[in-house]
Amino acid sequence: MEFADLNISYSAIAPEIITSLTGVAIMLIDAFSKQGARRTNALVAIIGFGLTLAALAGLWTGTWTPFGGDYFSGMVVVDHMRLIFSFIIVIVGILAVLLAGQFLKDEELPAGEFFSLVMFASAGMLMMASAGDLVMVFLGLETTSIATYILAGYRKYDVRANESSLKYFLLGSFATAFLLYGIALVYGATGTTNIVGIQKAIASGAINYPPLLLIGAAMMLVGFGFKIASAPFHLWTPDVYEGAPTLVTAFMATGPKAAVFAAFLRVFAVGFSSPTTGVGETLQETWVSVLAVIAVLTMTIGNVVALTQKNIKRMLAYSSIAHAGYALVGFVTGDFGPVAFYLLAYAVMNIGAFAVIQMLARPGDRKTEISDYAGVGFETPLLSFSLAIFLLSLAGIPPTGGFIAKFFVFRSAWESTPGLRWLVIVAVINSIISIYYYLYPIIVMFFRPLPAGFSKPKVGAGVTAVLVLTLAGVFFLGLMPDRVLGALNQGRGAARVAIQEAFR
Amino acid sequence: MRTFYQNPETIIVNALLLFQQAASTALPGPDSATPPVFSYLPIALFLIVAAAFPGVALLVLRAVRPQVYGPQKMMPYECGLDPIRDARERFSVRFYIIAMLFLIFDVETVFLLPWAIAFDRLALFGLIEMIIFVGILVVGYYYAWRKGALNWV
Repeated sequence: MEFADLNISYSAIAPEIITSLTGVAIMLIDAFSKQGARRTNALVAIIGFGLTLAALAGLWTGTWTPFGGDYFSGMVVVDHMRLIFSFIIVIVGILAVLLAGQFLKDEELPAGEFFSLVMFASAGMLMMASAGDLVMVFLGLETTSIATYILAGYRKYDVRANESSLKYFLLGSFATAFLLYGIALVYGATGTTNIVGIQKAIASGAINYPPLLLIGAAMMLVGFGFKIASAPFHLWTPDVYEGAPTLVTAFMATGPKAAVFAAFLRVFAVGFSSPTTGVGETLQETWVSVLAVIAVLTMTIGNVVALTQKNIKRMLAYSSIAHAGYALVGFVTGDFGPVAFYLLAYAVMNIGAFAVIQMLARPGDRKTEISDYAGVGFETPLLSFSLAIFLLSLAGIPPTGGFIAKFFVFRSAWESTPGLRWLVIVAVINSIISIYYYLYPIIVMFFRPLPAGFSKPKVGAGVTAVLVLTLAGVFFLGLMPDRVLGALNQGRGAARVAIQEAFR
Repeated sequence: MRTFYQNPETIIVNALLLFQQAASTALPGPDSATPPVFSYLPIALFLIVAAAFPGVALLVLRAVRPQVYGPQKMMPYECGLDPIRDARERFSVRFYIIAMLFLIFDVETVFLLPWAIAFDRLALFGLIEMIIFVGILVVGYYYAWRKGALNWV
């Protein structure tokens, strides 16, 4: 390959460059300053994310780099799907930074490392969203994972945080190994790691050894399935989410999940989709069926086990598993629109809910049992009413964003793939089950007596900003979804609509 | 003149090379229709030889070596330290941080080498990219320094 074929375009990776540089800048500021410069670092992080948003908006107009091109010899793609997922990731990052100020101040933890790790994790997620090549997917996944392993154990002297971090690290590395081995086998079968190249190789039937491709795809499914916490690979989720600092849980459950879904969609709905006869057809029908089963398992296990949880963080961990299942229902439409909208709505309402939990749990995450919420309803109206709205949104009650997201996912799955309508029915039954455990904390908050010795948590400016933003987001997505849906429709067809063809 | 009695490992290396040649010529290359798995046959042969080499050496030495035992000799080898004592004591993990820093610069060298080989083709672009790469590592090193990772406590 010649140098010119690389097709280098710095504007195509401007968001990734900006987030990484901000991370490095925060590290340097932290190293230069004598005392931990918490406020400066938070400000720099917010500015960095602001510039990233500007770069994404610039890419969205299509004037910097034309759409549909692949840059760095196919490593980076510029299309609507990438940009929409990148927007979700940056929104999650901004909310996490806003929440972090109070967390770091209350618990007297070092600030520089936290913000730079959030920046590096976000850079990895952006890489995953923009990956046009399996190598790039892996690189982004590792960058994100390593940063989140550390963030999960950020309370260095807390046993639960250590458990969470170590568990996440060991199981996460194991899953990454699966993904990597899958990539190697797919490369062996198709002779390329480029996702579009894989699709072309499968369509042309030029596969070295077909079982190799199927095994490779299965292993990649395991790797991705672990990272999005889908059902047979979900066992790490409750322990990790419970032990990690609440803010980190909110970050882990939303950002990396969205990014992995982006890569997952691109690899499977683009790379492994070719409705030709032969290996391609077998492969596609197999992974769609497997994914449908995984979606059913994920939703059912998540919701049913969440019913019996006594700890609110564990409950939301199982709820996060269930939500991954709903998003997988959107996956079978083969279009990224429903999945992206779902993950956006989930990110907004979940971070909002965790922001309230962080406040009510007090420094050190001491009060996370649902019984600790008895009677707080009218004592701290801002927190309790916000939590009630976020829980109703997670349950999918109109007029919140959660309702529209579920509606959009279920409707498009129902209309696009008649062969998989049973999946939508299972999903609807599941969301009815879920209403019980979402309503239970609300009842405890408002209708149980307040125990003696309750002291109001002090809600800082950052957390208030997050609550206002997420509440606005929940109602914006619930009442005026047309703008976001319009943006999603603009990018339709960027991800291939292949699955319908298999199941029509 | 050095004969094979003086350095027996050359025989093994030559034998391995012969093995590899035989394996790669006897089987068709990756261009043909055979599954790519078979082109890994040389690796399998290497594995067998690698397992056999220490095994044979141990067996032969067992027969040949003089057998003298003493209390000092029966002690587990532990870099000159007394290996048996209470495990519950504090020890500095500084070695670990030094090893991590070493690893960073080790990996840097791994990346510098291919760049140096393709230096003329990558031209100015490659030089600038490499300066950025080394710059990032310098930032990391400086960070570790400021944070006191190099202070021996």
